[in-house]
Amino acid sequence: MKRTLAPILAAATAIVVLAGCTSTPTTTSTEPVSGGTLVYASGDAEPTCLDPHVGGNYPQALVATQYLESLVSKDIDGTVIPWLATSWTEADDGLSWDFTLKSDVTFTDGTPLTADAVAANIAHLQDPDTASSTGYLAVQKVESVEAVDELTARITLSSPDSGLLDSLSQPWLAIESPTALERTQEVNCESPVGTGPFVVTKWNRQQSIILERNDDYSSPPADAAHGDVAYLDGIEWRFLPDSASRYAALQSGTVDVIDNVQPDTIVAAEEDDNIVEVDAPRPGASNRIELNSSKAPFDDERVREAFIRAAGVDDAITSLFFGTATRSYSALSSVESFGISEPEIFGYDQAEAATLLDEAGWTETDADGYRTKDGKTLELTFPVSTNQSIPAEQSLFEQIQATAKEAGFKVVLEPLDLASWYTALGENDYDLVSAPYTKVGADVLRILFDSDGTKPAPSGYFANHSQVTDPALDELLESANAESDQDKRADLYAQAQKIILEGFYILPLYDQQNHYLLRSDVEGFRALPTVSTPTLYDAWLNRS
Amino acid sequence: MVEPLVTDPLPIEGASRARHRWLPWALLRLGGVVFVLWAVATVTFFAIRLIPGDPAEAIVGGPGSQASAEALAQARADYGLDQPLLTQYLTYLSHLVRGDLGNSYSLRSPVVDVIGENIGGTLLLAVVSLVVASLIALGVAALSVRGGRLASALASLLEVIAAAVPHFWLAIALILLFSTVLGWLPPVSVPGVAGLVLPVLTLAIPLAGFLGQVMRESILAAISSPFVLASRARGENERGVFWRHALRHAAIPAIGLTGWAFGALISGAVVVETIFARPGLGRSLLSAVQQRDVPLVLGVVLVVAVGYMLVTTLTDLADRLVDPRVVRR
Repeated sequence: MKRTLAPILAAATAIVVLAGCTSTPTTTSTEPVSGGTLVYASGDAEPTCLDPHVGGNYPQALVATQYLESLVSKDIDGTVIPWLATSWTEADDGLSWDFTLKSDVTFTDGTPLTADAVAANIAHLQDPDTASSTGYLAVQKVESVEAVDELTARITLSSPDSGLLDSLSQPWLAIESPTALERTQEVNCESPVGTGPFVVTKWNRQQSIILERNDDYSSPPADAAHGDVAYLDGIEWRFLPDSASRYAALQSGTVDVIDNVQPDTIVAAEEDDNIVEVDAPRPGASNRIELNSSKAPFDDERVREAFIRAAGVDDAITSLFFGTATRSYSALSSVESFGISEPEIFGYDQAEAATLLDEAGWTETDADGYRTKDGKTLELTFPVSTNQSIPAEQSLFEQIQATAKEAGFKVVLEPLDLASWYTALGENDYDLVSAPYTKVGADVLRILFDSDGTKPAPSGYFANHSQVTDPALDELLESANAESDQDKRADLYAQAQKIILEGFYILPLYDQQNHYLLRSDVEGFRALPTVSTPTLYDAWLNRS
Repeated sequence: MVEPLVTDPLPIEGASRARHRWLPWALLRLGGVVFVLWAVATVTFFAIRLIPGDPAEAIVGGPGSQASAEALAQARADYGLDQPLLTQYLTYLSHLVRGDLGNSYSLRSPVVDVIGENIGGTLLLAVVSLVVASLIALGVAALSVRGGRLASALASLLEVIAAAVPHFWLAIALILLFSTVLGWLPPVSVPGVAGLVLPVLTLAIPLAGFLGQVMRESILAAISSPFVLASRARGENERGVFWRHALRHAAIPAIGLTGWAFGALISGAVVVETIFARPGLGRSLLSAVQQRDVPLVLGVVLVVAVGYMLVTTLTDLADRLVDPRVVRR
């Protein structure tokens, strides 16, 4: 059947390509114009709650960026900049921080932004009934928040936390109206109230969220392009789970912006004059394959190194991602200023891999060409989360499987849905795994590589998938987290990353990919440098 | 007045001399419905709980939200997930008997409300698709019957291709053709008729392939049968032969297939509603399964089961009306 249909599909594709060549340029303006509704189509899951304090995942962050604001933000150089807080000072002992808030800011329900509002938000995050995950982890060191005066909030910590500003910049810790937070969670999930440039007016489940401009808006982050209210009248935030129809909707002009763009679509869009790409890699960790060092065969560093030598990554990334992704040699995203890159550690060398496996005692070879030791095959279980790994990434893992086979590794790829994948990790039933982790700042290393992260929570969730338990590394990460001097922090994080990279615990691939495509008449669109969520505050429609 | 020698085995005036057989038939049906509902609820309950994965994660914001152990424990206690599975099952059944489908974990609202909001879209899609599929099938069958052997072979080929095309492929092909190239129709659901065209075609074309094959064969069989010859002999013209005799024969297998078609349309709705971003039961079911939202999965599956049984009952009734032989048997 497929054979019969292939020519039809090919013909249809050819017609599409031809049609793409005939585009009509629109008249352009250089001064921002107010008005119009922008249609944003998200390929991410529909949030279950529009208040990102509850739970706290990326789909929530994407939309919440339009109506909620944080105390601080970051500019493109990674410097922390004012947002709802105009200034902040850390006490000498690092145990308390004073935040001065912007004056005359009101939430969209009329409640004024005060120090008490900040206290109510931290309390909301820490309340078990909120069931916050991401935000809850970020404020774990916060002991109390008190109002020094109406616009000064003092946050007291149990121990110094140099990552506090990074944490507070995230959308999961946005400041909401304390009056609104007192409503039931059900109501607050449906219509959260913040200080942002837009207001949630309606949520049509499985379809869209309707946002309207906040006409009293006065609190843009310090790096925004303008200072008044937003240009757009409103936003229709749609959920289009299928990537092909999402792109078709953008091409036809049914929607103006799409996210979760796949490599082949990015390449196709380059041919289309009506479409512009925005590449905004996510912060935190790079996408990487983690090698489970807690059990054989990867408890032997030589076997870990042999795998990394035998894994052909560069050519596969080039061919599978069509040049849309850049190879990473770092544990951290390229947007993290404390990241170090060590390309020389990750050279591809099959001969070296063979030598290392010989040294490690994997000297025999079975009929299929796989190495064996004491009758056991050199087999690696690789559960792949089909929700988190895009098709191109899954193909990349197959390429790695093929090149690792040359050295005698039998890589068993197991495609799993997210829940089953978590279970496999919880049962320590893996040798290789790849899991994204989005967080602002280098402190993500502490979550991913501190030995505390090897203990599974009752849910089975743990973050240290390489299962690194190195007291020296723990010590470095802890002191980096407590250190407020930027140069010393950089040095401590560099030492920590050297241990991780040189111990062959991870195989870095590329930054966590995050591409947006927009109609070329959408101007002023940008991703916030914090967690790379889009902000439509400066956006306007250049249409006549 | 001479009686025709050969009579149409389907008399135009349907006669039912078996009214007393309706009661046991109805009771048997009702018992069957209850049994099927119980079986569906039980199998679905255990199936979704046996797949690895923690429903508590769905409650605290879904996988990927890195829930703390405390939050998960709290959620388990709140929703009774820390109870033994059998206890949870019995609790569930007792609620079900009272008509309580519970609350969706992921949407935080009663399952009944979620289904109420979404059932309309899916029913509209299914009914319109069924009608369109029947019309396409009938049209192709009628044309091919009149067009001779070549037309018949061509129609047969088209029907096989249509029936074999997977929904996801057809949806993308239709989007490419009608939205991207021609620009006639929106590629994703918009309010109004325009947004319904592509989803309906995606569901209707494969269904029309199945229905068309069956209809065409029955029409051909009817047309070459003695009673048609007889009615021609009576002076009935071609149009009369087709509409009064052949069509009724074609309708019987088509009606029999409607129950099956309903099932096919609902499973197709999962794909179509996702690709075209239409709200509906199919899309709810897909996201509920992905999120281990047990109450919502059970609710949707039960509603679909009820709908399926309703449709098969109705088609049985329709069969009896169109074809009195069913009762006589």
